[in-house]
Amino acid sequence: MQSVAVEEIQQELPILNVENLSVIRSGKIVLKDINLTVHKGEFVGLVGPNGSGKSTLLLAILGVLKAQKGKIDIYGNRPLSRKLYGRIGWVSQAAANLPREVRITVRELVKLGTLNANNMFSWSDNGRSQRVDQAIKMVGLEDVENIDISRLSGGQRQRAVIARALATEAEFILLDEPLVGMDRNARNSLLKLLDQLCHDSGKTILMVSHDLTAIRQTAHRMVFLEEEIRFDGPTETFPDLDELAGLRGIEPVHGEAHSHQHDHSKED
Amino acid sequence: MMGLGGVLMDIFSPLMEFIAPVMPGEVFPFFFTMELFQRALLAAIMVTIVAGFLGTFLLIRNLALIGDGLAHVSFGGVAVGIVLGATSPLWYALIFSISAAILIHEMQSREILTGDASIAIFLTGMLALGLVTLRIWGGGITSDIHGYLFGNLLLIDESDLDMISFICVVSLILLTLIRSGLLATTVDPLSARVQGLPVRGIGLLFSVITAAVVVSMVQVVGTLLVTALLVTPAATAQLVGRSFRSCLVWTQVFGLSSVLLGLYFSAEYSSGSGSMIALIAAIIFASVAIIQIIIRNFIRPKENYSNN
Repeated sequence: MQSVAVEEIQQELPILNVENLSVIRSGKIVLKDINLTVHKGEFVGLVGPNGSGKSTLLLAILGVLKAQKGKIDIYGNRPLSRKLYGRIGWVSQAAANLPREVRITVRELVKLGTLNANNMFSWSDNGRSQRVDQAIKMVGLEDVENIDISRLSGGQRQRAVIARALATEAEFILLDEPLVGMDRNARNSLLKLLDQLCHDSGKTILMVSHDLTAIRQTAHRMVFLEEEIRFDGPTETFPDLDELAGLRGIEPVHGEAHSHQHDHSKED
Repeated sequence: MMGLGGVLMDIFSPLMEFIAPVMPGEVFPFFFTMELFQRALLAAIMVTIVAGFLGTFLLIRNLALIGDGLAHVSFGGVAVGIVLGATSPLWYALIFSISAAILIHEMQSREILTGDASIAIFLTGMLALGLVTLRIWGGGITSDIHGYLFGNLLLIDESDLDMISFICVVSLILLTLIRSGLLATTVDPLSARVQGLPVRGIGLLFSVITAAVVVSMVQVVGTLLVTALLVTPAATAQLVGRSFRSCLVWTQVFGLSSVLLGLYFSAEYSSGSGSMIALIAAIIFASVAIIQIIIRNFIRPKENYSNN
């Protein structure tokens, strides 16, 4: 059933098209000839070991990090182009650990998502409160919407940050390690939420995680990155740990290392 | 711009005179009846309101000490102004302070130096410039200079009040306008940028406002004590506030009580007003913190809203 859906999806124009992207940071190749296409409604899991360039790829897509080579198209525009404002949502790992000194309620945080260059100075509501209500409802934080986020659990804070991204009315949501520091229940309910956003609300999701087990439950498609893309395909065909080790010599997330090819893998 | 202080005095001095009879103390009521004191009170209140608003953001931007740095830079400006024979040396302070704020902001955003280091360099460099200038070309630390270091409310003349009013009113308007954008860029700069908010522009404007407000505070609390009104009330508010909005309100409550109590005690015991205000602000912070600890540990166990 999933593969039918994937075929349907691929007939539309891609939302994201990355071509031959290379990034060098302080003299070191971080990403090499990356080609990646994401279509509307897809839930793509981006995995790879530490320092494999996952976050770098996200930052390049957002446009805050300049690539040395290659091309990135989002909805037919360059990253950070004016036409993309409000269409891309960013959920960072850092955002989950928002500064503790900030006293800010869930509602106040989510409302920041409705800001843009045009309405920044405006006093009128223009349906912004409604968008905030909707976003808070989507992530299921209605009960705690007026509570200071520093008093919420890690899972709830992460939901609040996702709601902030939803309040921008973003169609394409990029998440960097949103599962870090969560217990199993919180992780499962967050993955369920992301799955719903994708299926019911038509959002497109590109999520970075090093938690292979968790992301495989939800993502339709997996991309394995380590400097270059080593695997890109439907989740069902994602290699098991042994094959993965064969691809690059990774130390699997759980269990022993299959390290017979360690010599050509790079840790940093 | 000139005359704004006069306009505000025309509006507020009848009000002050109206409430003067209920004011306690022997000297304190003068703040509500005599023009010289009224000017001082008006300046102190305006400066406190803007400083509190600004301080809330400084605190969460991790820039608590920038006020201190810019105040010392302002002192350098004042010294140079005095030596050059300026009638209003605060203008020099304003130029020095704004230039330093822009340079510090650029150095930070280009990651040339981390926040604290760049502030420290400007702080000491400009303070030293001021002291050297005064020693060689001026008359050393005169009582005028003393007023700028520790604050002397009663030295605020009409043109000073004009300048203070102008800075405070414009800063308050600008801060109110950029409030949401400033909060968004403070909480999560990357998301703000992806949303299309002018993160860099907001940061630069915020730095310039901070620089100007610090200059307006120099005569009220003095170069050495600027942080007391800039950061302490906001920090106290973080202890009791439960939302960003409530923190803004609490900051004003703590800031204005520090100023009024500080002026009262300094008038009655004829101590320096700046140091008394700073002392009261610190005492309020300590009291609130202690009460909080008692409530949290003995009266009410920690509330927990987590359910997953």
